[in-house]
Amino acid sequence: MRFDQVWFRYARRAQWTLRTVDATVEPGATVVVLGRNGAGKSTLLQLAAGVLRPVLGAVRDRPPIVGWVPERFPADQAFTAGQYLTRMAALRGLRGSAQAEHWIERLGLAEHCHTRLADLSKGTAQKVGLAQALLVTPGLLVLDEPWEGLDSVARTLIPHIVGEVTAAGGAVLVSDHRGEIAGLPDAIHWTVADGEVHTGAQPETDEVVVEVAVRRTAADATVARLRAEGHRILTVRAPGGPWPGRAEPQDAEDSTRAADAAGDGVTR
Amino acid sequence: MIALVRMRLAAFLRSGRALAPVITALVVLGIIHGGGRSAAAPAYGYSAVMLFPVLAWQAKLLLDGEPDVQRRLARLTIGARREAVAGLLAATVLAVVFCAVAMLVPWWPLHAIRGPEPGSVEPSLAAGIVLGVLAHLLAVPAAVALGALASRAVTRTVRNGLTVLVTGSVLVIVLGLSSSVAPWLVPPVMATARALSADQLPAAGTLWLLIGWTTLWCAAAFGGYGRLRRSRS
Repeated sequence: MRFDQVWFRYARRAQWTLRTVDATVEPGATVVVLGRNGAGKSTLLQLAAGVLRPVLGAVRDRPPIVGWVPERFPADQAFTAGQYLTRMAALRGLRGSAQAEHWIERLGLAEHCHTRLADLSKGTAQKVGLAQALLVTPGLLVLDEPWEGLDSVARTLIPHIVGEVTAAGGAVLVSDHRGEIAGLPDAIHWTVADGEVHTGAQPETDEVVVEVAVRRTAADATVARLRAEGHRILTVRAPGGPWPGRAEPQDAEDSTRAADAAGDGVTR
Repeated sequence: MIALVRMRLAAFLRSGRALAPVITALVVLGIIHGGGRSAAAPAYGYSAVMLFPVLAWQAKLLLDGEPDVQRRLARLTIGARREAVAGLLAATVLAVVFCAVAMLVPWWPLHAIRGPEPGSVEPSLAAGIVLGVLAHLLAVPAAVALGALASRAVTRTVRNGLTVLVTGSVLVIVLGLSSSVAPWLVPPVMATARALSADQLPAAGTLWLLIGWTTLWCAAAFGGYGRLRRSRS
């Protein structure tokens, strides 16, 4: 798939969101799109998926089957999770609910199968969004912040799923601002900044994210020991939100991640 | 595409959105048919006129019921053209069922339809019903087209959508009056009602003119809808 001199803006008199995008995604490749909030990552992904049409230029050779996981799953629908996936499978031309059930099982959605979409938690709704994109193995899988709201088990599944799609010859585009890309060691990096897409950055292959739960009383000591051993501390969080005054993240980017984090007392 | 038609109909009927047009239509039908018994052709002609804005509103509600992101997902899944057509088909199916029920209401519970007066040249009861079916079938695609043009996928905002819907509905009545200077700008809903309320059976040429007029108007409206949908996701 190829971006051929793509320009895009949301309205006729608006500023260009993306300019002169010239890039290629080879079959079997994983591309991680990096950039600050509002840089145009989602716009680039939607252009790749075919959700948005370029104002100038064209996206060529897009595979016929595209799976798109939007940043926010549209949960305001009058279906249960199971009904929704079965109907989306029917849209894909699949008979019966076997594929829907496969992904319901695999993503741990079985207990939410009869829950209305509107009543699902953010992470569970995101899993439904992921499942609908995978009902048929896509030639292009576009994941817009797929880790957002997912629990740790589901997060570790994403690299496996990406690997399966690329192994089948599909390409994967994924945006990330949470530092989860370490789980995609062979990914190519694109950076979106100032309306331009910079390709060709080499991936860092020597880092992975490990989540470790420790006792509250041992948190400071553990953080100090891990730092002393040369590890980067991304976040320290406690149930209900960040852990104020403890183990400050090392840079501004990490501060964003700390603010986003929520859940059990976990050191990353 | 049929799967998407079924999905959209199911989503619409499960949501509470379906209720408001139904209640409105029942009120409208009560007003039209509640005043006494009438011959079938004029009664159905004017019921088609009164139902036109309700059908357009219903089409808009159906098309707007789906979140924008879900509409884009459907578009990716089955293609842009088939996604747009599926929405129109779903709205048309719903409107046809709606009209069928609306045509039964004057029989039961209102008992508002009578046969031709003895000695008059009024159309027979059967001819009146057939003409009534025709009037509603001519109103359905035009109303769906107006609802589609007022839908959020085209107008983007609630204000714009309501403006298109209300203005379109008013113009259908105003420009459809017999003294109108530009009746061809709107579908012939009023012209059909006038033809059906004449003392005698309308000429075949008149009916073909109404059918051709509706076809051309709907072709232009659906063409515009398709063009606008292509440029707006």
